[in-house]
Amino acid sequence: MSTAEDLPVLGAPVDRVDGPLKVTGQAPYPSDVDLPGQAHAALVQSTIAAGRITDLDTTEAEKAPGVLAVLTHHTVPRLPRGPMTSLGVSPPAPLQDDRIRHHGQHVALVVAESREQATAAARLVRVEYAPADPVLDFDDPRAVSVDDPWGLDSHRGDVDAGLASADVTVDAVYTTPDNTNNPLGLFSTLAAWEGERLTVYDATQWPAMVRETLAEVFGVPEVSVRVLSPFLGGGFGAGLRAWPHVILAVQAARDVGRPVKLVLTRPQMFTSVGHRPKGVQRVRLGATADATLVAIEHHSTSLLAVEDDDYEPFAAGSAVAYACPHVVTADRQVRANVPAPVSMRAPAHAQGNFALESAMDELACALDVDPLELRLRNHADVHPALGLPWSSNALRECYAVGAERFGWSRRPARPRSRRDGHWLVGQGMAGVSYPWYQAPSLARVTVTADGGATVASSGMDIGTGTYTVLTQLCAHLLGLPLEQVRSDLGDSDLPEAPQAGGSGLTSALGSAVADACERLLGALLELVRDDPESPLHGSDPEDVVAAGGGLRRRGDPGRGETYAAILARHGRPQLGADGASTPAQPTELGMALAGAFGAHFAEVRVDEDLGLVRVSRVTTVIDGGRILNEKTARSQVIGGVIGGIGMAVFEDTITDPTTGRIANATFGDYLVPVHADVPDLDVTFVGEPDRASALGVKGVGEVGLVGVAAAIANAVHHATGVRVRSLPITLDALL
Amino acid sequence: MRTFEYVRPDGVPGALAAHAGDAATAFLAGGTTQLDLMKDGVLEPARLVDISRLPMRGSTTTGAALRVGALTTMEELATDPTVERRLPLVREALLLGASVQLRNMATIGGNLLQRTRCRYFRDPAVPACNKRAPGSGCAAVTGPARMHAILGVSERCIALHASDVAVALVALDAVVEIEGPGGARRVPLTEFYLEAGGRPEVEHTLEHGELITGVEIPLPPEGTRSGYLKVRDRVSYEFALTSAAVALLIEDGVVRDARIGLGGVGSTPWRPRAAEAVLSGAPATPEVFREAADAAVAGAWTVPGTEFKVELARRTLVRQLRTVAEVTR
Amino acid sequence: MTSTPDVPPAPPQSDPGAAEITTAFTVNGTPRTVGADTRVTLLDALRDRLGLTGTKKGCDQGACGACTVHVDGRRVLACLMLAAQCDGREVTTIEGLSREGRPHPMQDAFVRHDGFQCGYCTPGQIMSAVALLREGRAGTDEDIREFMSGNLCRCAAYPNVVAAIKDVAREGGDHAHL
Repeated sequence: MSTAEDLPVLGAPVDRVDGPLKVTGQAPYPSDVDLPGQAHAALVQSTIAAGRITDLDTTEAEKAPGVLAVLTHHTVPRLPRGPMTSLGVSPPAPLQDDRIRHHGQHVALVVAESREQATAAARLVRVEYAPADPVLDFDDPRAVSVDDPWGLDSHRGDVDAGLASADVTVDAVYTTPDNTNNPLGLFSTLAAWEGERLTVYDATQWPAMVRETLAEVFGVPEVSVRVLSPFLGGGFGAGLRAWPHVILAVQAARDVGRPVKLVLTRPQMFTSVGHRPKGVQRVRLGATADATLVAIEHHSTSLLAVEDDDYEPFAAGSAVAYACPHVVTADRQVRANVPAPVSMRAPAHAQGNFALESAMDELACALDVDPLELRLRNHADVHPALGLPWSSNALRECYAVGAERFGWSRRPARPRSRRDGHWLVGQGMAGVSYPWYQAPSLARVTVTADGGATVASSGMDIGTGTYTVLTQLCAHLLGLPLEQVRSDLGDSDLPEAPQAGGSGLTSALGSAVADACERLLGALLELVRDDPESPLHGSDPEDVVAAGGGLRRRGDPGRGETYAAILARHGRPQLGADGASTPAQPTELGMALAGAFGAHFAEVRVDEDLGLVRVSRVTTVIDGGRILNEKTARSQVIGGVIGGIGMAVFEDTITDPTTGRIANATFGDYLVPVHADVPDLDVTFVGEPDRASALGVKGVGEVGLVGVAAAIANAVHHATGVRVRSLPITLDALL
Repeated sequence: MRTFEYVRPDGVPGALAAHAGDAATAFLAGGTTQLDLMKDGVLEPARLVDISRLPMRGSTTTGAALRVGALTTMEELATDPTVERRLPLVREALLLGASVQLRNMATIGGNLLQRTRCRYFRDPAVPACNKRAPGSGCAAVTGPARMHAILGVSERCIALHASDVAVALVALDAVVEIEGPGGARRVPLTEFYLEAGGRPEVEHTLEHGELITGVEIPLPPEGTRSGYLKVRDRVSYEFALTSAAVALLIEDGVVRDARIGLGGVGSTPWRPRAAEAVLSGAPATPEVFREAADAAVAGAWTVPGTEFKVELARRTLVRQLRTVAEVTR
Repeated sequence: MTSTPDVPPAPPQSDPGAAEITTAFTVNGTPRTVGADTRVTLLDALRDRLGLTGTKKGCDQGACGACTVHVDGRRVLACLMLAAQCDGREVTTIEGLSREGRPHPMQDAFVRHDGFQCGYCTPGQIMSAVALLREGRAGTDEDIREFMSGNLCRCAAYPNVVAAIKDVAREGGDHAHL
């Protein structure tokens, strides 16, 4: 049994299947859903960063028109913390005591008949505090730090000996600020209890995790909790946890006995759903005069909340980025009275790569070799730590194709060599080795009486194209036209899929869909093989293919029948099969699991007098393994590159060093790229299907962002001769 | 937002009567500042008098001035033929001042009265704000402050007046037309705004209950060249870090008339008359421009986050003087 | 794809403390009347009272463009307008762009060029783009980028949005739709 070859649907740049819903305003995002009788909730947040609540007066708020309830730590029952997930601990349960751990912590929730009433009444809650002196930065001697939080620190060879043997060394400190994920969609939760059954429309990237969390926190069986998130207004990592506001909305719905809807405000999006944490990194590199790396030392310190965790190994990527005999990487986290960080598109690697690839540029300057040449000479032909061949690696091709398309060979070697009027023009580049990640996944594929098929999974399309690529994949494997395949996603009642995160969902969920399709075809084949009325009766499975909307004899497409005919004759309204995928095991394969690779080449213009930095073009080449849909994959990479531009020159969540209050928590003050900031972007895919993935797929959701900041910083140096080691690179540093 | 009564009277007299100087009443025009601040809880009027349909819209050219009705939108004024031809600095300031959506809503009268973008002012959870709560202090002086003012400020308040077009209008000596319970009056825009050094809560000379009905913009003499330069991190859709509105009349290489407005630096749309004095009668050279720029920022008062603005404002003005004067060396 | 449950919009809430006001306006060609708290913005009236959830709330502060609609043919931000201010006005939302069941050419072009990812900012981008053509500002890439800059897209589909707009502009738009 096999599937039809050469079907054009897989890999083809087909339009998003959910596109018509999105462009007409019909796609139901969680905040678009209303339930009969629903009430509205609004949060009250702390205005100090550390200390205790001494008095919380809700009298006035409770008397306000339309108010149904005010939840505080006095009213909310003691709730357990949610479960450990594959990404770490759950956030602490909200409103459990009088302690304040960060500015913007939820201290009350007001529930009222209307949105306007809830918002107005929230301002009437009076909170008195006994403030303590908050810990807000790395250098606070009171701060508690955690060394090697994930056991990922690495040591290879003898880095001191390596540095001692180097002809040229670089030793530099790089800083990156807090960035805020800021998806456009305000996170919202609509919770409704019917007895012990709970239905939640939630802005999440991981419905199965939210279901598990709510079941555990509220002490109900998982089967009685349903979490729906068929569409999400972006996540970028912010939707990877069941945040305290989700718990509060569910608690409020239980308290008032009605559905409760809570929509965060934009300022609350800065304090309530995570951020990319700021960090300080020191990188030491050593190379011999022929530009051979002999030592890499990368230390990082990043900021963490006082009672929460975050996976953010900034330095870990440096252990495997280059062939180098002597390597040390070490990460440290410092606990502070700040809102909880969370993965933000390419967590840790966005920051770590900026430091490493900036340092590589500095090393190239010190060695007087071309930055691209330095990277090629130290290319990791095999996995540097394991010594195993990569499951796929087209990084050299990324460099070669990118350099060619960008015109890198015409770049003058010296900084400050080119100008255009008052603009100094510079070019820089960076390489990217993104890590492999995959989690187990389930999926179900069903053929129905109309001859079409449905893919079902709790997994998400957060704008990544999951609806589209699963539809393509299923159509390809079952020999159906795209229009006859539908994907149902984002519903925790459907077979469990992992988070849309870590660039791992397409491979995990796609492999599960492929497995389900294979099992389904097997079941269909069994039906027809033993059925004397089937034209395929008695066929050898090897001679049957899925094509033309059904099963066909290989080489004799006239002999076969449609799925509709098979189901009809057997009196079945539908036939489904469950599929599963499990992550590959590197040791079994004898190869090192490769994530995506990439190279960015950036050109910037810097106003000589005013310091303005404008990114004028970027060429990006990505090895993402097999690309299931070039249109949606390209969009993801474009989005990543622009996210990288934002990180490089705009984004900076500023915390008041005295009060812990975020000073710029609006879209007017926290700058993200706008249309006018985005130049022509050139994105190309190279490489082969990955050998360790059933589908050959490597995720491309994050790799596009990584390296952009370094390429831009390196280009700024090339333009101006000024090395900026602190992001974002704004004109203040260049005046 | 607290609850409020909404009324939409006919005619200016009706609007003035509906307001009647009541402390809890506010006018509503484009709404882009008023509603935003009401949502933030900074403004809590009990009654909104919607003036957006009053007949105060459109512009007319009379002699040497353009008279603009207060309810003319930013977008309408930006595409006004006279503005396009005679007032490039006003047009550019309008086009760089906001997105098209906001320009379609915001009126010219409302723009002049826009409130500061200071996030300490706009967040009632911040206790110290002399502008919002007189006598409470200024959190911006000790907190992170980049989008704040360096001229016309003190330790009492460093809030920035963020209008772009007002910067161009002060340079042009525009006049504000006002009607109120006490009748009509005209105030030069340069005398309309009050610096934050004194009482930060009082930003202008408009009395509560008075209404801006129009703005008269004198047209610069023929031969004047002008333009607006806005310096900001993003290419578009951002308030100015610094800006310069410049109008120059140059004859035989000598500056005959110089008008300058600076944005992004002042507690009011800033008119650096000392800089104009340096330029007036002087040769249009980079050296003179630099001297003028030094004079423009003399007396700047900075906090750590705004120190860079002193030099940036100088360079912004020099750049724009050179651009307008077409001095390229 | 799972569809949203078919629930009528919540009825207007009565509030003894709030001033109520009745607003009669035209939405997507149909006369509508909303009786509501004076505090209700045009955005919340469309979404909560009229069930037109295509118009999105991304900041509620006039800083992201997700709530862009047309009022009397001009693009505005529905979050910074009171519903009461729209009395007698004509409002067009993303749901009102299609004609005789056919999507607006801009909607088709956004799909063709993949001018979105998560899709949340998309109704606002499209309403802005349609207005941009009407304003005659789609002449150059630079103009399109500048005059679309009030519409943030965090997925950053910007280049594809520009491509979609150019495509429609090149085709001369669809004047029946403008």
